[in-house]
Amino acid sequence: MSTPLGRSAGESWRVLRTPLLVTGLIVLAAIVILIATSARTSGPFSPDSTDSDGARALAALLENHGVDVHSTETLDDAVQPGEGKALIIGPAGSLGRPDLERIAQARWSHLVLIRPGSRALEILAPGVQQTGDVLSSRSREAQCDLPAAVRAGTVTVSGPTYSAPSAAVACYGDGINNTVVRLEVGDRIVDVVGTPTSFTNAQLADDGNAALALNLIGTHQDLTWYLPQFESTDTGTADSGSAPLIPPDVRYIGWALAFAVLVVAIWRGRRLGPVVAERLPVIVHAAETTEGRARLYRRSRARDRAAAALRESALGQLHEAHGIPRRADPSAVVATVAARTGRDPVMLYELLYGLPPLSDAALMSLSHELDVLTQEVRKP
Amino acid sequence: MVLTGRAALLAGAGVVFVALVMPSWAGVGLVVAVVLVVCVVDLLLAGSPRRLQFSRDGDNAVRLGEQAVVQLLVTNPGRRVRGWLRDAWPPSAGVQDPPHKLDLPSGERRRLVTHLVPTRRGDRHAVRVTVRAFGPMGFAGRQGSHEVPWTVRALPPFNSRKHLPSRLARLRELDGRTALLVRGQGTEFDSLQDYVPGDDVRSIDWRATARRGNVVLRTWRPERDRQVVIVIDSGRLSAGRVGDAPRLDHAMDAALLLAALATRAGDRVSLLACDSAVRADVRRPAPQDVLPSFVNALANVEAELVQTDFRIVVSQVLERLGQRSLVVLLTGLDPAVIEESLLPVIGPLLRRHVVVLASVADPRLTELESARTDLPEVYAAASAARTRLDRDRLTATLTRAGVTVVDEDPDHIAPALADTYLALKKAGRL
Repeated sequence: MSTPLGRSAGESWRVLRTPLLVTGLIVLAAIVILIATSARTSGPFSPDSTDSDGARALAALLENHGVDVHSTETLDDAVQPGEGKALIIGPAGSLGRPDLERIAQARWSHLVLIRPGSRALEILAPGVQQTGDVLSSRSREAQCDLPAAVRAGTVTVSGPTYSAPSAAVACYGDGINNTVVRLEVGDRIVDVVGTPTSFTNAQLADDGNAALALNLIGTHQDLTWYLPQFESTDTGTADSGSAPLIPPDVRYIGWALAFAVLVVAIWRGRRLGPVVAERLPVIVHAAETTEGRARLYRRSRARDRAAAALRESALGQLHEAHGIPRRADPSAVVATVAARTGRDPVMLYELLYGLPPLSDAALMSLSHELDVLTQEVRKP
Repeated sequence: MVLTGRAALLAGAGVVFVALVMPSWAGVGLVVAVVLVVCVVDLLLAGSPRRLQFSRDGDNAVRLGEQAVVQLLVTNPGRRVRGWLRDAWPPSAGVQDPPHKLDLPSGERRRLVTHLVPTRRGDRHAVRVTVRAFGPMGFAGRQGSHEVPWTVRALPPFNSRKHLPSRLARLRELDGRTALLVRGQGTEFDSLQDYVPGDDVRSIDWRATARRGNVVLRTWRPERDRQVVIVIDSGRLSAGRVGDAPRLDHAMDAALLLAALATRAGDRVSLLACDSAVRADVRRPAPQDVLPSFVNALANVEAELVQTDFRIVVSQVLERLGQRSLVVLLTGLDPAVIEESLLPVIGPLLRRHVVVLASVADPRLTELESARTDLPEVYAAASAARTRLDRDRLTATLTRAGVTVVDEDPDHIAPALADTYLALKKAGRL
């Protein structure tokens, strides 16, 4: 008598296992491929990025020349002991003062600062200052006696410029504003480079860009390529001073809350069987055509038709009430009605057989008078 | 799988626990694990809704507006099932009960009662029975559905049956069972009886008087065993709503009253519902079966939004009628339709039979015509007047052609049609 609907648990499992297995394999394969091919870093000037503003070409070039490039986005890699090693600090992010001091204390043999901010200059390259001038992009001579720059010849240079202390060597500029500055801080060589675009994948092949990059950066066997991230500078930044805005516990409460919301959603979301749908008949009111015609009359201001219908209707009632024959002459009708109601025959003729009303007001009054007339007839 | 408010409450308590006691990943994990384990265990211990067995019993048909009772017998061969049961029907079946609470120990059976008050005519099929069985702790449960077929047919309400006793009384008068002897044309000879002063002298049978030697009177009675065919137009003319029901429903009401009356008068009644095809067809049922067979046949007839083909109507009626009969056509008085499609084909019907055309008038038109306070209303009144004039003209045309027209409000159409039938019978026109 009764038939169970839907699938039992076993049937569901048998039906679903193949699609589930296939989906699982696809997801697994996607994850494996993603891990295998994923770059360790990304963004502008990243040694793993093959975009036009990345620096994969330079990293590959350095590796061809026997330089070991470690790309990283974490500060810890940048503050390890760095004797005999080189460190590039990329342009992204804004390192806090304590972070920069830790880098300064890490005793790197060679530091390359790509478009550094004033705080980085103050700590890592004392004496060098950002000037505010920006060089337009074009080929320039080195105009200095830095061997690395002289051997590279002309280089396409653009970006911010820096003023150098007298002890430093400054290249690619007008003597006051320079885009490459090399200075020695203790036993460490510090290069300040204001033109990161010269070393990107897009421009590395122009002029002597590649040569300059190799000469400047490829000084040590071991190169750490550090791209500061915003989040690596946010946490533990001592100079912000205040406590974090959101207490860390809230995160766990949020997850627990999310789980509770999920449970509530499942609780409220399941119906006791589906909604039952039903075909319903169309509802058409029988008077709809009449009402539609009334609107048409009104829109087209068909006062003549409206008046004719009202008059014909009133005449019909008068015929019936006074026993006037259907085909009676208008004058006979008027005479009969006038005799019965005591109205003026001329007015009555005008009312029943007159011209169509010329205004809405006239139609209204015509309708009213006909109404009164038929009411009078009906009463006695 | 379903979860309950208890599971949600447990998860909510988990939030408090994480906030106050263990604000760490371990705390979150603990809460998730506890909720999952409790729900899964409860789920595994719940009875199986799928293993329940169902059967039905109860009313198969109900007059529209009255209550039908359908019983559902649930047998549980498996583990105890605690939870809810919903007996789902379409909305217009008018289920009166909220979902049933179910507590069915293993091996027992329960009888659940569903009350239905259908809101529309026609067959209403049970959709499905859904059972939600909770586990012993009430945190989670299983849900399953069963198909348990049953059909309740909502029959036309026959509201006009209240008019039947008064019409039957008039029929008895007519029938001669109350001693009233009226001679009309076309009435049948009944018997001869002695003249009593006061009797109609025109009824004296002179031949019999001569034979017997005393004055003898012929008595008459109306004809019996005549054919009445009621044709209901189920096309678009019957789809329009008058009041809160389509014209079709009012027409059915009138048809049922006429059928009941004509059956009591000894006539044989047939029914035809027709638009572009025949929708219901009942041919001369036995007198005691007339009403049941009519309401059953009409229960599922709905107004179709198509033009009725009156050629089918005429050919169907002619096919089933030999002798002179009464044909009652229940349709709408729409000048365009009637003039274009009925009048050209009705000739053969009029030559051999008496034709009555009954139509449900719309009281809304009268309302529109009498309300004239502002301009839109005046235009509406003019439009309504035009509609009425067209109908009057059509009525006149039909009357000239020999059709008796009955055009009344929904409340009066059924008695008016019955009265027309009685008048025709009295006049001996059948």
